[in-house]
Amino acid sequence: MVVGEVAVETDVIIMGGGPGGYAAAIRLGQLGKSVVLVEKDKLGGVCLNRGCIPSKALIHAADQYQRLNDLGKMGIRLSQERTTMDLGVWQEWKAGITSQLNQGIAHLCKENGVTVVKGQATFLSDDRIGVETDGDFETYKFEQAIIATGSRPFIPSFIKVDGEYILDSTSSLQLQEVPSSLSIIGGGYIGIELGMAFAKLGTKVTIIEMANRILPQVAENLVKEVTRNAKKLGMNIKTSSRVEKASVVDGQVHLHVSSEKKGTEVVVSEKTLVTIGRIPNTEEIGLNRAGVTVSEKGHIAVDIECRTNVPHIFAIGDTTPGPALAHRATKQGIVAAEVIGGVPSAVDSPYVPYVIFSDPQIAGVGLSREEAEQQGYSVKIGKFPFSANGRALATNETEGFAEVIVDANSHILLGMHMVGADASNLIGEGVLALELAARVEDIALSMHPHPTLTEGWMEAAEAVLGHAIHIVNN
Amino acid sequence: MLEFKLPDVGEGMHEGEIIQWLIKEGDAVKQDQPIVEVQTDKVNAELTAPAAGVVRKIFFSEGDIVEVGTTIFTIQEENDMPATDTGIIEEEIQVVRSDDVKVNAEHITTKPHHEAVRALATPFVRQMAREMKVDIEKVKGSGPAGRITESDLKQFKENNSITRENANQHDDKIVQEMAPMKDAIQAKGVENEWEERIPLKGIRKKIAEHMVKSVSTIPHVTHVDELEMDRLKEFKNQLKEYSDDKDIKLTFLPFFVKAIVIALKEFKTLNASIDEKTKEIILKNYYHIGIATNTKEGLIVPVIKHADQKTIFELADEIRQLAAQAREGKLSIDQITGSTFTISNVGPIGGMHATPIINYPEAAILALHKMEHRMVVRDLEGVIRLMMNMSLSFDHRLIDGVTAVHFTNRIKELLENPIRLVVEMR
Ligand SMILES: Cc1cc2nc3c(=O)[nH]c(=O)nc-3n(C[C@H](O)[C@H](O)[C@H](O)COP(=O)(O)OP(=O)(O)OC[C@H]3O[C@@H](n4cnc5c(N)ncnc54)[C@H](O)[C@@H]3O)c2cc1C
Repeated sequence: MVVGEVAVETDVIIMGGGPGGYAAAIRLGQLGKSVVLVEKDKLGGVCLNRGCIPSKALIHAADQYQRLNDLGKMGIRLSQERTTMDLGVWQEWKAGITSQLNQGIAHLCKENGVTVVKGQATFLSDDRIGVETDGDFETYKFEQAIIATGSRPFIPSFIKVDGEYILDSTSSLQLQEVPSSLSIIGGGYIGIELGMAFAKLGTKVTIIEMANRILPQVAENLVKEVTRNAKKLGMNIKTSSRVEKASVVDGQVHLHVSSEKKGTEVVVSEKTLVTIGRIPNTEEIGLNRAGVTVSEKGHIAVDIECRTNVPHIFAIGDTTPGPALAHRATKQGIVAAEVIGGVPSAVDSPYVPYVIFSDPQIAGVGLSREEAEQQGYSVKIGKFPFSANGRALATNETEGFAEVIVDANSHILLGMHMVGADASNLIGEGVLALELAARVEDIALSMHPHPTLTEGWMEAAEAVLGHAIHIVNN
Repeated sequence: MLEFKLPDVGEGMHEGEIIQWLIKEGDAVKQDQPIVEVQTDKVNAELTAPAAGVVRKIFFSEGDIVEVGTTIFTIQEENDMPATDTGIIEEEIQVVRSDDVKVNAEHITTKPHHEAVRALATPFVRQMAREMKVDIEKVKGSGPAGRITESDLKQFKENNSITRENANQHDDKIVQEMAPMKDAIQAKGVENEWEERIPLKGIRKKIAEHMVKSVSTIPHVTHVDELEMDRLKEFKNQLKEYSDDKDIKLTFLPFFVKAIVIALKEFKTLNASIDEKTKEIILKNYYHIGIATNTKEGLIVPVIKHADQKTIFELADEIRQLAAQAREGKLSIDQITGSTFTISNVGPIGGMHATPIINYPEAAILALHKMEHRMVVRDLEGVIRLMMNMSLSFDHRLIDGVTAVHFTNRIKELLENPIRLVVEMR
């Protein structure tokens, strides 16, 4: 078809089928709009195909593998044969999971009347996009558009990802064999999650982080146990260190690492994983032709309705400033869809939970102690260690604690954070409590089932009030 | 981003009406450029841009009444505009770190970060506030620790509209106590002993708009006929025993509804509408009958859905319930939309004929008038019969006069011979 010959008309065009884009498409379908969802690769985006889901599948497998070592303590003897990990088989298992989820999304799109188009989308003007598929080019005319093209790993210029020796998060999740050694540039959550998983599978892992500690974005007191565990797993953690040069010599990666303490040293490993951040996919989609402006770092500024500077064009997910998290993308997608569908809606909550699948897990919502104090609150803190929780002992997962932060005057909850087994699931209670503007008493007075880890929240809340049952209150 | 809040331009004013926007969203404006015209109790003011930039969002439409202190538009200041350069990305490791998982309200949106203290309310209450167009930060919470409850919101909304109403109505005494007579007159618009002006707003305004739309789009023709009601009355009286048993107050209306539905099934263009955009006639195979009801707020039309599938008793019960809800102002949007044909039952109040206005976009409306004993001629003899007139207004684009007469004839046939009605009812 000739460029611009006939434009297919639709109410809404969505560029990108990640957790932001597909959620928006489904919601728009529910609201009776005609929707075209353009995805160049696979539905589900980074989250489903290269991010959240595959990484959690790897972490789970690594946990199971490592757990075998602890079973002796409980009297379980394995046969003599050594446990091994076949990453090739794992890849097949993972592919099964992602393809089931892909099909699920495709089905939901279809049932909600969403037209899914495979191809690469670019703006031609502020009311048209072109979609390129295998050399074919088609144009679409829209009333409204949603930009949901997501992000990709940021790779600094001194290093080049080749997928064999130097990996990004995507290629690291496609390995067919467990590497014997792996150096990871960046100690953020992706580096720590993947690093710990590989360490459990037997890889010798080195983490190189510029800040003076790993997970620098998370409150310090929450990270300690993870650091301790990383060391127990034999991980070598170099903080306040930066990589200056990388080269592949005789099938090994040589990283030149400099730090104040040690000067320059060379870290040698079989493979290197670069996870120092992500950058939005906003350069090659013709934003200037649509009049949409971006920040220096490539993010698209939006208001609480997810509108860009061009009122009928919206942006969501990793293309917008803020934490690059799938649940934030989904929420924004739903809000943008509702605004377009005429339903009053806004992303106006400061409660964006975070989950880190390290060992132990870290999860939280709301303010940290430091943030609360900076904002002028006088705070009370309640803390309850997993080691005083019956269920944690019975499952041999005694690391970590629950922490609640409250406004000393009103007792309204300001933040809830947790380090420990299953923190990622347990934080749900925190999100709900904060959204409902609960007081610490509300949690303390709610009956929590026994024996479960959820009791940790109840006891931490009681600790704020000075009467936790299973610890000495001071 | 700069939020422009409606200032107090007249001394001690509480609210103003947006008269005219002089710009639209996306416009670039210079500092001090006129943006919006606002009418307050006392003055008519032109408000100007506080800074140069691009108008990002306009929150109110012309005609809206806005309280002082409410944000009416936002401007993205020039120096705050994101750069247009999409090419260059910082390559320094220390700069880019988007795997930042820290929670920071400021990062989530570009909306200016509220004071540390955010109104306490659940997500549902926040959504309600958005739907009611209430700025939740202004509402005082009565719940524990100052939480804002659903009823706080309702109260806030009510209080606000009451104060507004009072300001416009004739509560002279209070106004006089507050200000000299001259001011008082001005404060209420032009008002003196000969005339009184009340702004057209709320439901009345909606009704006005709806009526204008209906008559300016649909060529109305009204056809009038009369019905003899004695037999139907007798029939209804016979049913009284059963209805009393069932604790149902039986009126004539359910019979009218039934007869109309039977006739509508035969004359499909009367249960129809015209889609002006696509130039199509939409014939509806469902029978949702609107019953125009008088309430203290004005005319409301609750709708009996699928009237063809309900028995006389079911209809009676539903009509009673809807009327009660209408009077209490408790009808949901769902209960007052979607009618396919409307009945205006003005009879109980009085009147002989009318030219009812069609409930847009329907094709017809039937008004039922006062029932009374009249002298009529039967078999060349004057006799007294219980008579009722009905006026049918119809869309002459869709329906010819002959069809309309056939339609009312059919209704007449059924209502004058209730046995036939019963036999033909489904
Ligand atoms: C290893 C890893 C682990 C993660 N773990 C978590 C986690 O545990 N929890 C969490 O919340 N988040 C996690 N994330 C982050 C999460 O994946 C992202 O925040 C999320 O996927 C963003 O969603 P999105 O819809 O904005 O974009 P994406 O998921 O990036 O989707 C964008 C889609 O747009 C398509 N696209 C791009 N350009 C075009 C174009 N021009 N035309 C058509 N299609 C286009 C892409 O192919 C892609 O499918 C993780 C990320 C990684 C890399």
